[in-house]
Amino acid sequence: MYEIRFHGRGGQGGKMAAEAYALAAFLEGNYAVSFPFFGAERRGAPVKAFTRVDDKKIRIKTQVYEPDYVVVLDETLIETQDVLEGLKKDGTVIINTQRKPEEVRLSKPVKCATVDATGIALEVLGRPITNTAILGALARATGRVKIESVEQAIMEKFGARLGRESGEKNARAARMAYEQTLVGTSQGGKEFVPRPQWLPDVHEMPIGGAIGTMKTEAGLIGIGSFVENKTGDWRTFIPAIDKEKCIGCRFCWFYCPEGCISMVEGKAEVNYDYCKGCGICAHECPAKAIEMTREVKA
Amino acid sequence: MNIKDLSDEILFTPGHTACAGCGAPPIVRNIMKIFGKDTIIYTPANCLLVFGGTYPYLAWKVPYFHEAFENTGACISGVARALRKQGKKTLVVGIAGDGGTYDIGIQALSGAAERNEDVIYICYDNEAYMNTGIQRSGSTPYGAATTTTPAGTKIPGKLDHKKDMAEIMRAHEVPYVATMSIAHQRDFLEKAKKARDVEGFRYLHIISPCPTGWRFDPSLTIEMSRKAVDSGMWTLFEAEYGEITNIYKPKKKIPVKEYLMGQGRFRHFTPEMVEELQRWVDHKWKRIYGEEP
Ligand SMILES: Cc1ncc(C[n+]2csc(CCOP(=O)(O)OP(=O)(O)O)c2C)c(N)n1
Ligand code: SF4
Ligand code: SF4
Ligand code: SF4
Repeated sequence: MYEIRFHGRGGQGGKMAAEAYALAAFLEGNYAVSFPFFGAERRGAPVKAFTRVDDKKIRIKTQVYEPDYVVVLDETLIETQDVLEGLKKDGTVIINTQRKPEEVRLSKPVKCATVDATGIALEVLGRPITNTAILGALARATGRVKIESVEQAIMEKFGARLGRESGEKNARAARMAYEQTLVGTSQGGKEFVPRPQWLPDVHEMPIGGAIGTMKTEAGLIGIGSFVENKTGDWRTFIPAIDKEKCIGCRFCWFYCPEGCISMVEGKAEVNYDYCKGCGICAHECPAKAIEMTREVKA
Repeated sequence: MNIKDLSDEILFTPGHTACAGCGAPPIVRNIMKIFGKDTIIYTPANCLLVFGGTYPYLAWKVPYFHEAFENTGACISGVARALRKQGKKTLVVGIAGDGGTYDIGIQALSGAAERNEDVIYICYDNEAYMNTGIQRSGSTPYGAATTTTPAGTKIPGKLDHKKDMAEIMRAHEVPYVATMSIAHQRDFLEKAKKARDVEGFRYLHIISPCPTGWRFDPSLTIEMSRKAVDSGMWTLFEAEYGEITNIYKPKKKIPVKEYLMGQGRFRHFTPEMVEELQRWVDHKWKRIYGEEP
């Protein structure tokens, strides 16, 4: 048996990728299961999905804690969490990035495959949906399934949902990724500090669990404490406000779901710590003063 | 009341974890600017509960409680009575999704309305059970694809029409019932203000487009609220003690098709299905505006 863990953000299609890969393995006569991790995650938040493949029936139902392969659909995730956690000794990580394997820095040096799945998706699909392209890279890096099986699985899975033409395009994206994947070794040494948690003992626990705003070793907790949760890294598109054009109407300020636009001297200003890049401000601005562009991540 | 009259103070903070482009956060943030600090919020299980806080973290800056799915109406009733006994005027507000209102919470809600409890009940309506992954509710419109009414060869999405919840609440003859859309800023703010100032039971019903469940680009959330009103799919009115006192009529009525386009949940619609939904809208239009659409 081998196990795969997919890391993505809600809405990027990690679950569909896990399912399509399971189908590809199944088409080659294996048993395969896949499932997402269900939490309170929303579109844009980090999420996980899993696939298990074996030549006999799979009875184990738990999450995958010690994967053979780790797939990362969104490069920003490798900055904030150790995606290698639990990866088996000879395991491989497959990352969607423009960088070469040798340029990627992780917690330890491991076998690493990279591909610009976003670039391929934009070229072939016209949208930055990377969950099919990345499967081509996975097939290439692991050699566990044939690219033809991946293509067929994608056609079946995505074709059924989005129409034949779209299925074919997605299969093409996987093939291109398969051909462009680079395999090498990542750098190691990146340190991740685990986020401290608030773990009060029974005497410190407020009656009824009700807490006002409190400063703890885990940062602010209680009323209004979500201000310390910076959601800016969910973003793929970023708004820029042209202050010359801004007429100070406050529409963007009123409508922004994050409440992260403030009015400074009569002009709108975005707090990028929280902006999720939804594009509502740009769409609603009557003066067309806001432009959305693809964010270039450092 | 205009958006320029709103304060800069935020009582529902950034850092919440709603999907990008969710319709609900701007609704609660702006409504809280009108309700003010002396407010207590109750929420049953729904998206707002989850994205508004994960213990011990919270986006709300006022006292905030989570109760069971079924009993929003009962909880806010009891809390309001206790506060009034103490001579406190604190605003007691329950906010529930459409699942928690149309289906699961309707008995407690109806009871609270019947007893004319001194509370505000808000339904933010995203037309399905979104928090658990898009299951149909009594609010889901005809034909919409959800995970429990998938559009396929057996059924073409939801078979039944949307229930008229605001009318059910109006029939309770409570002091105040209003339907709202955040795209209609002034109307939205005026109604929130009125709800704050009236005594007795108040029911606010607000359309809350959901890019994830309705499958549209997150930049279009406000436009969806606007088009819902312009097509007649959503109607803006106010009622006092059961009498309609104010109806907003769109300046130009757009065909329902224009609203459906761009929403993945309606993608499978045949011309016959569009016609069926248009028939439903036209019927409602005539009932509300007393004239042919
Ligand atoms: C009694 C009970 N049944 C089921 C659930 C699971 N549950 C949690 S949130 C939710 C969906 C809520 O839907 P809705 O009220 O429409 O709000 P939304 O999430 O769409 O905003 C469900 C079914 C629960 N918490 N309690
Ligand atoms: S909507 Fe446009 S014009 Fe209005 S305040 Fe925002 S940026 Fe300025
Ligand atoms: S894109 Fe605009 S509306 Fe959306 S979160 Fe960012 S600032 Fe707010
Ligand atoms: S699923 Fe819909 S209602 Fe729930 S947080 Fe996401 S956009 Fe908002």
